[in-house]
Amino acid sequence: MKKTLIALALSAASVHALAIQPNSDWTDVLQEAQGQTVYFNAWGGSDRINQYIDWVGEQVLAEYGVKLEHVKIGDIAEIVTQIESAKAVGKDQDGNVDLMWINGENFANMKSNELLFGDFANHLPNAAFVADKPSIAYDFSVPVEGLEAPWGGAQLVFMHDSERLPNPPKSADALLAHLKDGGRFAYPAPPAFHGTTFVKQVLSEVTQQPEALLKPVDQADFDAVTAPLWAYLDEMHPLLRGNGKVWPASGEETRQLMDDGEVDISISFNPNEASAAVREGQLADATRTYIFEGGTVGNTHFVSIPYNAKAAAGAMVVANFMLSPDAQARKADPEFWGDPTVLDLAKLEGTQKTRFDQIDLGPWALPIEELANTRGEPHASWTGALEAAWAERYAQ
Amino acid sequence: MGRALRSVSLAVIAVAFGLPLVMGVLGTLGTAIGWFPNSLPGLTVLSDPRLFAATRLTLFTGLMATALALGLCIVTLMVFWGRGSLKRIQQALAPFLAVPHAALAVGLVFVLAPSGWLARLVTLEGRPSEAWIVPDPAGWSLILGLALKEFPFLLMTALAYLPRLNPDEFLRQGRVLGYRASQCWVRLILPNLLQAMRLPVAVVLAYNLSVVDMAIILGPGQPPTLAVWVIEYFVQPGGRAQASVAALWLLLVMAAGFLIANEIYRMCGHVSREFRTDSQRKPPRPGWGLAGRAGVLGLLGLATLALVSLWIFSFSHRWRFPDALPERWTLRFWQGRWDDWAPLVENTLSLGMASALLALLAAVIWLEAERAGRIPRLDGLWYLPLFIPQACVLLGWQAGALVGGVDGAWGTLVWAHWVYALPYVLLVLAPAWRSLDVGYERQARLLGASPWGALIRVRMPLLLRPLLIGWAVAMAVSIAQYLPTLLLGAGRYPTLTTELVTSFGGVDRRVIGTLASLQMLLPWLVFAIALALPAWVFRNRRHA
Repeated sequence: MKKTLIALALSAASVHALAIQPNSDWTDVLQEAQGQTVYFNAWGGSDRINQYIDWVGEQVLAEYGVKLEHVKIGDIAEIVTQIESAKAVGKDQDGNVDLMWINGENFANMKSNELLFGDFANHLPNAAFVADKPSIAYDFSVPVEGLEAPWGGAQLVFMHDSERLPNPPKSADALLAHLKDGGRFAYPAPPAFHGTTFVKQVLSEVTQQPEALLKPVDQADFDAVTAPLWAYLDEMHPLLRGNGKVWPASGEETRQLMDDGEVDISISFNPNEASAAVREGQLADATRTYIFEGGTVGNTHFVSIPYNAKAAAGAMVVANFMLSPDAQARKADPEFWGDPTVLDLAKLEGTQKTRFDQIDLGPWALPIEELANTRGEPHASWTGALEAAWAERYAQ
Repeated sequence: MGRALRSVSLAVIAVAFGLPLVMGVLGTLGTAIGWFPNSLPGLTVLSDPRLFAATRLTLFTGLMATALALGLCIVTLMVFWGRGSLKRIQQALAPFLAVPHAALAVGLVFVLAPSGWLARLVTLEGRPSEAWIVPDPAGWSLILGLALKEFPFLLMTALAYLPRLNPDEFLRQGRVLGYRASQCWVRLILPNLLQAMRLPVAVVLAYNLSVVDMAIILGPGQPPTLAVWVIEYFVQPGGRAQASVAALWLLLVMAAGFLIANEIYRMCGHVSREFRTDSQRKPPRPGWGLAGRAGVLGLLGLATLALVSLWIFSFSHRWRFPDALPERWTLRFWQGRWDDWAPLVENTLSLGMASALLALLAAVIWLEAERAGRIPRLDGLWYLPLFIPQACVLLGWQAGALVGGVDGAWGTLVWAHWVYALPYVLLVLAPAWRSLDVGYERQARLLGASPWGALIRVRMPLLLRPLLIGWAVAMAVSIAQYLPTLLLGAGRYPTLTTELVTSFGGVDRRVIGTLASLQMLLPWLVFAIALALPAWVFRNRRHA
């Protein structure tokens, strides 16, 4: 009896001693992670992405003994509130969420409310392969500082059926002209992610003061900066499918509407979505992807660990695996998902690199040479301000 | 039953049922006045520019949908009463009781859209029409969806109440006096029926005013209905206090909705009294009956088409406008995916079984105690969860579960499902339980049975049918729960419903179709068992 008690006390002490920090030695992290269950809270709306996450789960279980549970959610903001609640009632340990898929405002919010684990991302071994790009170092103009690990790249792209619409409009102005000629189009109503991004895209094209978008919104003359945007949307809305009164709920819905023939052009944040969707039977073979001539808004999506995660070590192991050349190459392949990599291919060698070279994007995806033509996201504070102003004008 | 045991079980039921409601409402009130840290001030939500439009949309869709469902129910009774087809309609409606709202909604959008199935059946080539759009800006799609879903519930209740109102006698007497059948219904039967059906209609109205999933799929989107608006703030970081004030606003609007409905009901009463005093006789007009029958069958056909389309999608690889049927078929959404679906089915069934059995147990204990005169009838209290929108209590629940350290526990979910299943069990079971002839029991006691023995060996077998229907309804309610499962379960127990709602984001109709088919299949099976079992058990008895 006494021995058991001592053993228990010792093991409790050793658990305490091992309590993993964001910068713990990697061998300690691996040891602690062994046998942990990681609850990964991530949007579960896409069958392909879910199956990719299942594959990640199989790999980390086999290689590191970490069990990955994908908690499928509709909107990561729900989980941010859940963690806020936990902090409010003082549940600072053994939280329900170990790893979460996040970026933008939600990251900004968690960062400013100190709901994140710490600078773990720069200490992951595979961080060495990550590209040095401002769009990875800053998440919607908010410095990342290792609080989240990059997972994939994203860029606003448009898809069209090249048989039905051979020459799609390649700027905000051309899009408006297309609608005046009887073209069909609709964008999701903000605060849906794709809708807000489309509004930002138009704003960055039509505003007279593009530099104001990189600073917090309260440092700008909001009305002056956005006046051309509202003029544009006022003209566009009566011409939309739904006449500016009914809106698609998401970018995915615009893809379905395009396949149904109800709109000509759909909006996506994944340059390779069309490749995957055509192979899956969700889009026509004639589908092509393009961007506006002046470039489109691009950003990065990340995974992060909440401050009260129960299996932080396991979460770090999973985040590290997600950054491995193998996992990133499979993710970039439209056969599986088709999400652009965050790695710098110049830093890879040998087989690591050939995996990427073998990916066949097909004729449907955005040609790679156009990928670089990105505009930075406006500062995260613009999101809420634009959404509120949009609602005031168009949702009454 | 020992007295101590009895008081303990009654106390457990009362506390288990009351605690979440009190905690939920207090949590919402508390958050509204700023208990919750890191929240934006709650009252700012009332300056949301969409408030007025959202309130108007909520009242319009909620009241219209209730009126349409009730109207449909009345027309069905008037044109089909006394015909064999009423029984067939009743049987055909059982699946619709079991179908979850979200599944029907997805199917309806696909059937009615300009690029939808109906259009595909008549279009040979070209693009979809731009003449209409689904969902529509005014909210008619939502109204239609809600009415189609709630109408079977109202019809079932009406058919349960009608025998006590002697409609055949009224119809016979009226006809002898030279009135046509519709006049007899409007003047003699409906006033009594509507009076008797006030509670179920109120339940439907409360549901229609606070529905979330169907309003997301069939509503115009922006502005949202108020219930969707509450959830929007609820999931917004820092939006807790605002969501709570929004939830209280929704409660106020619901109260206003009830006042308006009551006023309309009174006005109808006045008008029909005027009607009744005129003694004009009119000959039957067969055209109206025909139109009524065609209308009811047409709407039922539409709903059936919506459900069938989901099944077809689950077997399709590609189905493009304007093809009337898929161009390529596949089994991969059923065959290859069983590993993914199996745990969902398992969670759904285990939560449903546990909460339904507990609800049945609690209902029986409570009704027995009530019959023994130990406790008063508390009908008003039992139905409370059906009148408080889930959005108004979940905030308090979530905080309470976090403090108690029971979030993400299986038991917590069973508890939450039970709170919503119990009212429906009582709704189904109480009338039968209260009206069963006490003579059977008295004879059993005279023959030496204990009170327990009389309950288990005489009373419960006699009431097997309502008990099983109550169980089936409770299962169906549990299977359809979305918000409690999501927010209290911390994602540990994904069910068919949470997975289905998540899959709406991906807009893959084939995956949605498969999940929705599975989600329909379970309650159908449960209802089939509930209907078939008594027939099998009583196969040797003549009265059954």
